[in-house]
Amino acid sequence: MQVGLSTKNAPSIWVVVPHFLIGTVSFLAASVFVVFNYQDLLGYHISGSVLSIVHLMILGWVSMIIFGALYQLIPVVMQVKLYSEKLAIITLGSLVVGLFFLIAAFLGYKFQLTNNFIVGGSLVIFAITLFAFNTFKSALSSNEKSISKFYIMASGIYLLLTVLLGLFTVINLSYNLLPVAHTEFMKTHAVIGLVGWFLMLVIGVAAKLMPMFLIVHRTREVLLKWGFYLINAGLMIVLAATFIKQVPEFVDVISFILILTGLVLFLLFNYDVFSHRMRRKLDIGMKLSAIGLIMFALTTLSFIGTYFGNSVFGFPVGRIEIISGLLLIYGFFTGLILGQTYKTLPFIIWLFYYQKLVGKQKVPLVADLYSDKLATVHMYSFVISLVLFLMGLVYPIEIVIRVNGLETWINIALLLASVAMLFTSLIYGINVYKMIFHKKIIK
Amino acid sequence: MIQENITEEEAKVYEVLKQVPDPEVAVNIVDLGLIYKVLKNDEAKTLDVDVTLSTPGCPVGDVIIQHIQTVLENTYPEYAVLVDLVWEPAWNPDMISDDGRAELNQ
Repeated sequence: MQVGLSTKNAPSIWVVVPHFLIGTVSFLAASVFVVFNYQDLLGYHISGSVLSIVHLMILGWVSMIIFGALYQLIPVVMQVKLYSEKLAIITLGSLVVGLFFLIAAFLGYKFQLTNNFIVGGSLVIFAITLFAFNTFKSALSSNEKSISKFYIMASGIYLLLTVLLGLFTVINLSYNLLPVAHTEFMKTHAVIGLVGWFLMLVIGVAAKLMPMFLIVHRTREVLLKWGFYLINAGLMIVLAATFIKQVPEFVDVISFILILTGLVLFLLFNYDVFSHRMRRKLDIGMKLSAIGLIMFALTTLSFIGTYFGNSVFGFPVGRIEIISGLLLIYGFFTGLILGQTYKTLPFIIWLFYYQKLVGKQKVPLVADLYSDKLATVHMYSFVISLVLFLMGLVYPIEIVIRVNGLETWINIALLLASVAMLFTSLIYGINVYKMIFHKKIIK
Repeated sequence: MIQENITEEEAKVYEVLKQVPDPEVAVNIVDLGLIYKVLKNDEAKTLDVDVTLSTPGCPVGDVIIQHIQTVLENTYPEYAVLVDLVWEPAWNPDMISDDGRAELNQ
């Protein structure tokens, strides 16, 4: 009996592939946006363009690819079929239309609740609720008891909380339903979204995929179990503290330390996996993923900076927060997605074209579906872009004012960084195009 | 290889199975240690193969099994080929042969 074969559980190519296509277009669009608005990244004020870029990157690029990849990976991680492919298609449609309205709303952002916000926000919430429901129903039908599954299930709950908090922030600004500063809500929205939704999901999926791709048998799962408890405890405190008046400062520090320790345990897990890998030579997908993980280590360090940077080094916290956001979204998430695209997308395309021909005709390898050279080129441009971004953002405004010519240098660095990221998204886009519009090769 | 006391004919079957790669790592399944047993019965004209996968959720499991079936049916057309997916003992990287290790890192 052939139990546990995930190929039989694999979703239709028509469910997964559109996510990669739309995600890639969003990455390209966000990169074009940054080239024309790079100065807004300096964060002197919360501008509509920065909010547009962040939401295009988070919802259009990162979430879109994660949704598509997760539909493909649920059978691998949980060994069950996705609960509903129809729901997945409706989720995609709702997310795309909602994102369109949301970006339109942010572009004319004046801290007011406009119709575009209501329509866009509602559609995004609808999409995300459907996604969380679909993932949850799939997880409930699985007998798998791995820690990966629990991380993925928890991330679904945090995803719902994130969008509800985001929408409530905007509504509360207009109607003052709760006497809590909107900055507090926005902070919790960002922390629950980034740590609860994205990081929990990424940890859950990476816990299964990294050892599988690198061929590691015995992993230190205990690190992830402790990480799960610590991150959840920290997030609960963050959430509760938002609604309680005058929370003592040490509560904030405790939640920070709990979350940080959990993230460090995830990093240690990955370090252990990489050090014990049987597959010593990394392919392009794993090289990019490794860069993503290194960026995550830097992100974790920058998180510490957001807490102690000002009191210890006198560094403006606002600037470190921007660096943290950049390292997390551009460095970690984007690096990991760029890499994991090459470990997921070509498979579903390859299975579609060649599954039935295997053994009967000579078929290409999975890696033949994309250009390794192009992927290597965008790996370098990606790293160059990140370095330039950091070089441009690292100087506090106080120093910029005092040092002659520094502002010009910062502008040049940020412009070059944004062009290098646009180049990265373009080259990556060509490779995604090559995979999606692959022409069958029969040797 | 975990099977002991294999006949010369069965050793040939192992060689035939080296044509089947794991599409992800591009190393053949024999050197990856995924073949646990080959029984070739010349009287009953049957060929039984026990195969495992590196992980229960392996995304290319079907493809590997189908490939084994096709390759053996083509090479031994007069034999009934039965490929069984087994999970005991659980596969581990120590089962990869020296050749497999070298190929993995080429």
